[in-house]
Amino acid sequence: MKKLKAVILDEKIDSVVRSLHEEGIVEICDLSEKLENVEWKTLLSPSPSADYVRNVTSLMIKAGRILDMFSSVNKKETSIKDLLNPKPIEKKKVSFRSYEEVINYVEDILSKVSSEVDEPAEKLAELDNKKSKLLQLKEQISYLNGLEFDLKYLGIGPYVFIGTGSVPKEKTAHLKEELEKVADGYVDVFFGSEFEKDKKIRVPLVVITLKEKLEDVLSELRKFEFEKYDISGVEGTPTEALSKIESELKSIDAERNSLIEKLKSLAEKWEKELLAVYELLSIEKARGDAYSQFGKTKRTYYLEAYVPARDAEKAKNIIESSAEGFAFVEVSEPDEPEEKIPVLLDNPKPIKPFEMLTEMYALPKYNEVDPTLLLVPGFLLFYGIMLTDAVYGLFLTLIGLFVWKKIGKVNEGASKLGYILTLAGIATIIMGIITGGYLGDFTYEFFGFDITQTPFALVNPLGESFYINSKHALFSLGGISVTNGPMAILVFSIFIGLVHLLVGLCVGFKENISRGNVGDAFINQGIWILLILSIFVGIGLMFAGASSLVAGGIIGIFVLLAILASMYKGYKSGGIMESILGAMDITGFLGNVLSYARLLALCLATGGLAMAVNIMAKLVNESVPIVGIIIAILILIVGHMFNFVMNGLGAFIHSLRLHYVEFFSQFYEGGGRRFNPFKANREYTTTA
Amino acid sequence: MVDPLIIGAIGAGLAVGIAGLGSGIGAGITGASGAGVVAEDPNKFGTAIVFQALPQTQGLYGFLVAILILFVFKTVSPWAMFAAGLAAGLAGLSAIGQGIAASAGLGAVAEDNSIFGKAMVFSVLPETQAIYGLLIAILLLVGVFKGNAGAETVAALGAGFAVGFAGLSGIGQGITAAGAIGATARDPDAMGKGLVLAVMPETFAIFGLLIAILIMLMIK
Repeated sequence: MKKLKAVILDEKIDSVVRSLHEEGIVEICDLSEKLENVEWKTLLSPSPSADYVRNVTSLMIKAGRILDMFSSVNKKETSIKDLLNPKPIEKKKVSFRSYEEVINYVEDILSKVSSEVDEPAEKLAELDNKKSKLLQLKEQISYLNGLEFDLKYLGIGPYVFIGTGSVPKEKTAHLKEELEKVADGYVDVFFGSEFEKDKKIRVPLVVITLKEKLEDVLSELRKFEFEKYDISGVEGTPTEALSKIESELKSIDAERNSLIEKLKSLAEKWEKELLAVYELLSIEKARGDAYSQFGKTKRTYYLEAYVPARDAEKAKNIIESSAEGFAFVEVSEPDEPEEKIPVLLDNPKPIKPFEMLTEMYALPKYNEVDPTLLLVPGFLLFYGIMLTDAVYGLFLTLIGLFVWKKIGKVNEGASKLGYILTLAGIATIIMGIITGGYLGDFTYEFFGFDITQTPFALVNPLGESFYINSKHALFSLGGISVTNGPMAILVFSIFIGLVHLLVGLCVGFKENISRGNVGDAFINQGIWILLILSIFVGIGLMFAGASSLVAGGIIGIFVLLAILASMYKGYKSGGIMESILGAMDITGFLGNVLSYARLLALCLATGGLAMAVNIMAKLVNESVPIVGIIIAILILIVGHMFNFVMNGLGAFIHSLRLHYVEFFSQFYEGGGRRFNPFKANREYTTTA
Repeated sequence: MVDPLIIGAIGAGLAVGIAGLGSGIGAGITGASGAGVVAEDPNKFGTAIVFQALPQTQGLYGFLVAILILFVFKTVSPWAMFAAGLAAGLAGLSAIGQGIAASAGLGAVAEDNSIFGKAMVFSVLPETQAIYGLLIAILLLVGVFKGNAGAETVAALGAGFAVGFAGLSGIGQGITAAGAIGATARDPDAMGKGLVLAVMPETFAIFGLLIAILIMLMIK
């Protein structure tokens, strides 16, 4: 990373910001905090967002409102076909040189759209409003069963009030007497037939009273949980009124539908254009808002930005040329503390997608080693060993290719994942061929052909193979001879584990040395490197014919050395107690090594479960007549799919775990801040 | 002498039974949190299924070992079969811990999709114990240490008990992992330290594994 500092004439700032945003290679630093410092304050004042932002925001709201309306009338259904084979969005070609041009263009489009869309949209809202009112009226009138009177009399007349509503059934008993008491008898109540609402039985009623007594009657009615219905503007008996409302609703619906059709065709016509417009506006807003991160003098702007070292010259040239020389640019090493400097991973294309796995743990700190390259071979090897089945591997490769090439076209994350899965699938095929796994022991169960006993398979994870069996031991050492597959894979797993840890330790050692922490390098990594090397030397000596006592002695010395060193480390950091805890580091190391034994267990789990599926299918096929074969095929398909998904997922996570927990803990800390470039995010438009 | 397969059959039953018990409880814990998440947002159904699948693997390992005992390695010593079942079964109880971790992971992912990978890694930690159980079961069944009393006589049960009961450390690990997921959800940088803490309880599973291997190797 480099730090870029620039002073730019105010007339040219718009053009500079536009070119930087289009290029997307710098991360602008927010200066507002720095500008509170007294020394800076005398030179610079904070800069507000650009003036046009307010204008842009109001246009965005307008466009957003129309887009919302479009998506409510023109609902898009994503079919599974679209999901599996998404079409890339057609991009609209644009070229604007200033924010005025963009705003003029957008205003022009928006006024065109408004002139066509506003009228039907308003009408639709009006109709919706009318409809909801009618629906409420319909509901209330429908409750007035058994009260046949002309609804036009409802309301306050010159002398009398006629109202309607309902009360719960259990309150009807003394209602009339109580009302007569408060209204001196100038009241009458008629009950209709009961109905159910919200699981309660209610009774509709009409109440007639003198205008003068209205207040008293209504307040008395409230004690009876009276619910008043406001029915007005309706004529005829409830039944007549209902049928009239029905027909009115129908005509409204018809009108609504034709409006919606019209709006739908308008949506087809304008939606793409509007999405592009909305995007243009968002980009302009981002540009305008960037001003608030600058500092300002009377006639110039001052900005600071991070830029990746390889792009520094380019960024400088862009600023100078777009400011037509009215700018001063300086590129220097960052002067901030390391944790403030952003991090950009930069790997060659074939391993770039694997950055995803590094990011999942944590980005490296500034100046820390990028572990992506170190992670790739181990990840693929472990994945292959854990899934170990050529047919499953083929499936995985096909799925990976599909995700990478088809779905990956529009989704960058899918493209990366697809790439990783494809490679993992190929690794699985290779390991599957080595261990003779083709849908487990499918060929043996159904055709009696045991591939693990032929020269085509190197090891058999479940027993003896052509190459490794009780007659041909792979090797014998200290009384243990490797005469079968599981033992061979176990030894191999531990060996791979030691090598893997050794690589991690060496990287950590180098990192510590290059940072000048020589003592740390020896205590944290050096002693363990020596221990692993001593294990290799000891075992090598045993192969050469030395007794196990000599080998054990050599390894023992380094184990003791490691314990003493970690006790010393503990003692330095916190006294006697810590030093006793430090002695436990050796078990941590042992745990790390033994953890790689999971390679064997998971390798066996795939093959074993596949075999279990095959055995079940075979049993059903042999014991159930006629339909047995169909059930057997079903068991095979479902069982192998299940095994594939479970173990495919397991292999992925356990490979990651071996890296995150065992491998990274030797040298990697992480915790850097991602480089977040000031970049125009274009989905619907393009400048190229 | 009774039919050797009778003792083996008990082992097979223990493998499926105990591991199934663990998986059932674990998947139940995750399922409860999954139901809550799906009620809030039905789109999260797929995520919930993935997390709920994690504690089910232990039951699967138990099932696998039972099948291996009953159909494949019928000729090994009955005590090896019994001990294999015991190892896979008891170690399968780590599913309870995994269920706790997976339920925390699911809750965190429901809030913030971007920590899916991290939550997944933490949720997978308590599976190590079950894998060790499976490992010992297979070593016993395949007869890797054939001829050693520790792998063929009643002493083999010692190996099964060692890795099986040590596998219960998975419950503790699950609780730590659940806490670490919460911490990582709040501060993604806490992942490294959370991992160190969450891996601690695994030490005891490794002791169990080591002793089990020593039993199978040494006793003659």
